Amino acid sequence: MPSRPSPIAFQSAPLTQSIFKKKSASGLSTAASYLNAVSAADARARTRGSAASSTASTPALSMSSSATSSSEDTVLDERQDFTDGLSYPRTPPTSSQVFTTVHSEFGHCGNEDYRYTSRHRAGTPYESYPEQDPPYYILLTTYISYLLVICLGHLRDFVGKRFRHVNYRHLLPWNGYAALNSDFDSFYTRRLKLRIDDCFSHPVTGVPGRTIMLLDRYSTDYNKTMIPTGTRTRALNISSYNYLGFAQGNGPCADAVETSIERYGVSSGGTRLEGGTLDLHQQAEALVARFMGTEDALISSMGFATNSNIIPGLVNKGCLVISDELNHASIRYGVRLSGANVRMFKHNDMQALERLLREVISQGQPKTHRPWKKILVIVEGLFSMEGTLANLPVIMELKKKYKFYLFVDEAHSVGAMGPNGRGVTDYFGVDPNSVDILMGTFTKSFGAAGGYIAGKKAVIDRLRIQGHSFTYAESMTPPVLTQVIASMASIMGITMPAEKPHSSPSLALLRSSSNEAALAMSEADVVPGTAPASALPSWMPLSPVMIDGSDGRHRLSRLAFNARYLNRGLRKLGFITYGNDDSPVVPLLLFHPGKMAVFSRMMRTRQIPIVVVVVAYPATPLVTSRVRFCLSASHTKEDIDIVLRACDEVGEVLDLKQAPGERWPVEEIISRAVEIVRAPKMP
Amino acid sequence: MSSSLQSLELLLAFLSRSYTTLETNFYKIPGSAVVARYVKSSHQNDPGRTLLEVILIIFAIRTLLQSRTRGDQSGKHFIQFDEKEIDELVEEWTPEPLAQPLTPQEQADLASVPVIVGPTGPKPKLASGKTVINLASYNFTGLAGNEEIKASAVDTLRKYGLGSCGPPGFYGTQDVHIRLEQDIADFLGTEAAILYSQAFATISSVIPAFGKRGDVIVADRGVNFAIQKGLQISRCTVRWYDHNDMESLEHVLETVEKERKKRRAPLTRRFIVTEGIFDNDGAMADLPKLVELKKKYKYRLILDESISFGSVGRTGRGLTELYNVPASEVDMLVGSCATGLASAGGFCAGSHIVVNHQRINGTSFVFSASMPAALTVAASEGINILRNTPSILSTLQENIRAVRAILDRADYITIPSHPASATIHLQIRWPTLQLPMHASHSSSNKPSNPLSVKPRDPPQFDVELEERLLQDIVEEALSQGVMVTRAKRLRGQELVEVRPSIRLAVTAALSRKDCEKAASVVKAAFAKVVGRRR
Repeated sequence: MPSRPSPIAFQSAPLTQSIFKKKSASGLSTAASYLNAVSAADARARTRGSAASSTASTPALSMSSSATSSSEDTVLDERQDFTDGLSYPRTPPTSSQVFTTVHSEFGHCGNEDYRYTSRHRAGTPYESYPEQDPPYYILLTTYISYLLVICLGHLRDFVGKRFRHVNYRHLLPWNGYAALNSDFDSFYTRRLKLRIDDCFSHPVTGVPGRTIMLLDRYSTDYNKTMIPTGTRTRALNISSYNYLGFAQGNGPCADAVETSIERYGVSSGGTRLEGGTLDLHQQAEALVARFMGTEDALISSMGFATNSNIIPGLVNKGCLVISDELNHASIRYGVRLSGANVRMFKHNDMQALERLLREVISQGQPKTHRPWKKILVIVEGLFSMEGTLANLPVIMELKKKYKFYLFVDEAHSVGAMGPNGRGVTDYFGVDPNSVDILMGTFTKSFGAAGGYIAGKKAVIDRLRIQGHSFTYAESMTPPVLTQVIASMASIMGITMPAEKPHSSPSLALLRSSSNEAALAMSEADVVPGTAPASALPSWMPLSPVMIDGSDGRHRLSRLAFNARYLNRGLRKLGFITYGNDDSPVVPLLLFHPGKMAVFSRMMRTRQIPIVVVVVAYPATPLVTSRVRFCLSASHTKEDIDIVLRACDEVGEVLDLKQAPGERWPVEEIISRAVEIVRAPKMP
Repeated sequence: MSSSLQSLELLLAFLSRSYTTLETNFYKIPGSAVVARYVKSSHQNDPGRTLLEVILIIFAIRTLLQSRTRGDQSGKHFIQFDEKEIDELVEEWTPEPLAQPLTPQEQADLASVPVIVGPTGPKPKLASGKTVINLASYNFTGLAGNEEIKASAVDTLRKYGLGSCGPPGFYGTQDVHIRLEQDIADFLGTEAAILYSQAFATISSVIPAFGKRGDVIVADRGVNFAIQKGLQISRCTVRWYDHNDMESLEHVLETVEKERKKRRAPLTRRFIVTEGIFDNDGAMADLPKLVELKKKYKYRLILDESISFGSVGRTGRGLTELYNVPASEVDMLVGSCATGLASAGGFCAGSHIVVNHQRINGTSFVFSASMPAALTVAASEGINILRNTPSILSTLQENIRAVRAILDRADYITIPSHPASATIHLQIRWPTLQLPMHASHSSSNKPSNPLSVKPRDPPQFDVELEERLLQDIVEEALSQGVMVTRAKRLRGQELVEVRPSIRLAVTAALSRKDCEKAASVVKAAFAKVVGRRR
C-alpha cells in the first residue's frame, strides 16, 4: 500500500504546512485512499451502531479536541488517519469479523494465535532476565558526557550570573528574600533536564489508548517556553499505563460511567467519615475484595495517597519497615510520615533480605535492643522502572520463617499479571490471603484513578479508622467508582442472579450492617470468583461480553502476548533490557543521557510516530538511563512489529545493541513471533 | 623449592614489565610529567606529607566504598551473634498483630457513618431509606449534581475516556488540565496554577517542595492535619504562633529575626503557613494583616484556602476576594477543587516560578497520575458557573446568616467559626458550673513558647465525653431528618488535640427555610442531649 509521509512528521511543523495538507486532503486523489475511506466509513458505522446510546455530538471516531470539534479538525484527523494505520486498520476487516472497539483506542486483532497466558511456571524458581552490563566504553563515555554537561552548566551559570543577572534572580537572594530554589538544588533541572525537556510533559488530548493525539509544540528559547503550534499528531502510544486497554471513550465501561454521571453527578461531597460515603463506595470496596480474593478492601481517591496515607496507619515508632531499594516514592513518603525505622535491601536480592532480617531481628531496635513491635516488608509486585517482579515464592517462605508482615504494592501488576489478572499472587499461584496487605491502584489497568488496600477485615477496618484517608481526604468520585466497578466486573465476568441465587444477596447488604457479607464471600467462592450481578449497581448497563467474561479474557491474553513478544523481540534484536519476560513494562537501556532525547525525538518523528517515555537519574541510577515501554492489551501484533522495526532502526543509529548472544534480523523476529512467545525458554 | 623460586622470578619479571608499561603509558598522558615532577619534589621536601596524602587517598576510597545504609555492623551498638543464637532469637520473637482489632466504640463509630444511596446533594436519600437535609457534605455552592456540569463531563468522557493513565510528565498532561490550570489562575488572578489529583495531598506536597532543611516556617498552632504532615516531611525549622493571633505572629517573627541576627546565620527561605478558613474551627485569617507582616519581615506566605475557596467572596474566589487583596500577594495559594468546585483534586496558584518549581519538585504531582479528564472539565465548568452567577454566593451567605441567627443564641453551643464561614463548628458550651476553671490563670500575658506546638494555656476538655455527646447529637438530628457530622479527627495523631465539634457545611442549594429548619433541629438536639446531663 502506498504510504505517504505523515503530514506532521516534525514537531515544529509550521501551521501553513498543515493548511496546505488539509486542502490536498479533501481531494481523496488516489484509489488506495478511496478504498481506505470506504473501509473507514464501514468501521465507523459499525461502531456507531454498537454505541447507540452515545450522546457524543462529534463522530465517535474522530478524537477531536474538546472545545471546538469543527469540521476542520475532523478533516485534519482523517487526512492523517488514512495513511499510517493508526486510526483505521490497514487491512479492512473481513465480513465475518466484527470489531466493536475504536481502532485508535483499542486495536482490532482477530488472530487468535496472538494470545498468551501470563503465568509463572509452577515448580521453577523465579528469575528475572539477568542484568547485563554494557561494554566498559559505554559506561566511560556515559560518565564523561555527564561530566561534560555538568561542567558546561557550571560554566554557563558562572558567566550568566555575572552578565545576565535578570535571568538568575529567582536563584539568588534578592531584596531580603532568600532564593526560592537555590541554584545548587535546581542545577540538575536547569542544566540537564531542560536540554531535553521536549521529551517530557508533552501535552496530549483525547483517549490515551492504543494511540494518542499529541498537541505539537516547539520552542525558540531552548525549551524554556514551549509554544503550541496548534497542530496535532496521532502517535502510537506505548507509554501510557493502560495495560488492559480500559482507556476508552466507547464501550461498556464508558457507557456505565456515562449512566453514573447522569445519575450521580461528579461529586461525592467530602471525606468518607464526614458525609462523603455513597452506596457506590461500599459496592466498589466489596467488589475489590472479591476481585483480590481477600476478606475486605478499602479504596482511596488517589494512588499516591493510598500509600502515603495508609502506611502511617500500619506502622509507627518502634516498628521497622524493610523496603526494597527501588520502591516507589509514595512508599518512602508514607514510611517517613509513619515515624517507623527503615532499612533497605538490594533490589530483589533475597539473600540480602534474609541477611537483613536475621540482623534486625537479632539486634532489635537501635541502641535499646528492644525487640521490634512489628516488621513490615514492603515490595512492589512489578517494579515500574525495572520490569522485574517481586520474588514472591521466596518471600513467602521467608515470611513463614521470620514472621514479618508483607505489604505488596501492586500498582502496576494488578490486572496486568497472572492468568486471571489478579496480580503477582495470581501469577505465582500464591494465596492472596497469605499476603497481609495487597495494595494497588486503579490508574493503570482499570483506566480509572485512585487506589485500594485489600486484606483481612480486622486490618482494613483498623486502617479505615487509623489511616489518614478516610478521616481527611476527599472520597472517590462516582464516575471513577463506576469505572472501577465496570472494568473489574468485566475482568471477572458476572454471575447473573438466575444461575446462583443464594450467594448474592448478602453482598448487596451494606457492610456496616452485616459482617457476614465479607466472610460469606471468601468462603463461598474460590479465587478467582465472578462478580454476582447483585453486587453491581442495579442501574449499570451490562453488555454480554462483560457478563461472560470474554472481554476480560480477551484483554488479558492479548496483553500477555504483547508483553512477551516485545520483551523477547527486543532481546533477540540485541538490546539490553531489564525485567521479566511477562512484564508489560519493558525498559530498554540507553545509558547515555544524550541518547534519551535523540531516541525520543527519532521515535516521535517517524513516519508512524511513536511516543516513548525516557527516564534517567534521579528515577534510575546515573548510568542506566532508559526508555520504558508500557504495553497494552489494546496494541495489535502489527503495533509491536512497528515498535520493533523502529527500535531496530533507531538502535542501529544510536549503537544501542550491546547485548551479547545470538541476534535475529527484525523480519525474522516478526515472522516467528508466535514461536518466540510460546517457547518456554527464549529460543 | 626451585619451582617456587622460578615462579617468584616470573612474577617479579611480570611486575617489572607491567610497571614499565604503566610508566610509559602514564607519561603518554599529556601533563603527566608535571604531576610526576610535583610528586617527586614534594616527597623530597617532606616525606611525611607523602604518607599523609596516601592515607588520605585510602580514607577517601574507604568512605566511597562504605555501605550507605545506617546501622551497619560496625556500629558500636552492634552485638555479635553466631548463627545458632540468631536462629533462636528469630524463633523467640513474636511480633504484635499487624492491626489491633477495633474496640466496640470504634466499631460503633464506623457503623454510624451515614451512607448516601444515589447522588449526594442538599437532600440525599440515606441507606435507611430516609431523605434528609444535608448539612454534612461539602457542597457550598450547590454545584454537585449540576446538569451543565454533568453534560460537559459526559462529553469529555466520550472524547478522553475516564483515566488519564499516566503522570503529568509522561503523556498525562491533557489539554483539559492545562485549561483548568489556566482557568484557576485567571479566576484568582495569579500568573499560573498547578493541579494536584487529590486536595488532601496538595499542601503536604507544596510545603516540602519549597521548604528544605534549615529553612524557617512560622505556622499557626491550629493548622489542619495536611499542613502538619507537610511540615513534618519538609524537615524545616518550625516556629508556632497562637491560633489566628496576629500579635503572636508578629512577636514570633520578631524573635526569629533576632535569633538569626544573634547567630549571624545566613539568609534562608522563610515562610508563614496558615489557613484562610481553618478546617479545625472555621476561624478566618486576617489576610491584610498577614500580607502586611509577611512583607515587613520578608516572608513568603503559604495560604491553605481549601475551605474558603468556593465559599467566601463575591464570586467564591476566597479570602483574596473577600478582603480585596490581590492574589499575587499570596505566594502560594492552595485550594481544593473537590470542596470548592464539587469535583476532585487540589491546586496551588502562584507565580510562574512557584508553579514550575512544583512541576518537578511537588512529590504528589510528579509521582501521581493526573486527574481524570471528566473531573477536570467539571471543575472548569464549576469556575465558569461561579464567575457568571454571583447570586450563588449571596444565597450561600444568606443561608449562613440564617443558620447562625438560630445557633448563635442557642444554649449549650459555642461557635468559634467566623460569621461568614460556610463551615460552622459547634462545640459544647458547658453550663458555667461544670466549666473546668482554666480561664482564670491565663491572664498572665506571657507569650507561648514558639518552639513548641503546644500553647501556654491549652484549653481543657474531655475529648471522649464530648465526642460521645456530640455523636448523640448527630444521631438525634438524623432521627429528625437532618444529616450533620462530627468533625472527625485522628485522636493521638494531631499535633494539638482539637476540641471536638459538630461541623455544619452550609450549602446554597438549600432554601432559607430548610436551613432554618435544620438549624432548629440541631439546636434542639443540643438542648436535648447536653441539657439532659444537667
